[in-house]
Amino acid sequence: MVVKTDLCFYSGFRIYPGHGRRYIRTDGRQYVFINSKSEASFHMKRKAAKHSWTQLYRRLNKKGIQEETQRRRNRRKVSAAPKAVEGAPLEVIKAKRNQRPEVRKAARDAALKDIKERKKAAKPKTRSQIPSGRGAKKMPVAQRR
Amino acid sequence: MIQNQSYLTVADNSGAKKIMCIRVLGTSNPHYASLGDIIIGVVKDALPNMPIKKSDIIRAVIVRTKKTLRRKDGMSVRFDENAAVIINQDNNPRGTRVFGPIARELRDKNFSKIISLATEVV
Repeated sequence: MVVKTDLCFYSGFRIYPGHGRRYIRTDGRQYVFINSKSEASFHMKRKAAKHSWTQLYRRLNKKGIQEETQRRRNRRKVSAAPKAVEGAPLEVIKAKRNQRPEVRKAARDAALKDIKERKKAAKPKTRSQIPSGRGAKKMPVAQRR
Repeated sequence: MIQNQSYLTVADNSGAKKIMCIRVLGTSNPHYASLGDIIIGVVKDALPNMPIKKSDIIRAVIVRTKKTLRRKDGMSVRFDENAAVIINQDNNPRGTRVFGPIARELRDKNFSKIISLATEVV
């Protein structure tokens, strides 16, 4: 069942059956209000656009709409197609993307091995330097025990 | 809520402009009259050269009230003035035109002539 609702002339809220008050001027114009607050404000000629709780104010000041648009923008960015970056043209990126996982893993392992070898080559130099500095401080601790 | 001494504007072209209630007729609460009730009134202000003169005693039916009217369907209606239409002994209007919006309650009380003359029924 569809419930027939009205919109408050002042606040813009939905008015369900059994609520609200209809004000009819002698010139024939009809105004519907959800509560006495809206009705009184209307009769005092207060502007709905100046009250932050009215729908008109919220529409004019873009309240509650910004978040939705931001979310949409973020979603679009995620689904964007790959672009050419400086130093990596589009063909290179595409080729890397289309590589099989085994090929990529082999390439990664090879690279890791290369790094480890380099570190091994670099370590002996550093070790030979460190003991002379730290060894002197560590000796007294061992003696106490 | 129309009671003795209440002033009402006249919503027809009978010639009276303002009437004052001096008696409420035939209601369960004789103190107050609401939409569709008949009152006795005295003309306080009238147009010149018309059949109805100032200080005439007349019958009138209330067509608009400032007091909110609660309907069975949950709707509540209120107007911005108290207004009446001057009628004769047969409940027919003495004027030939009716001005402004008229409440639907008059149809239930058999003022069909007033309803048919009205420009707008709310």
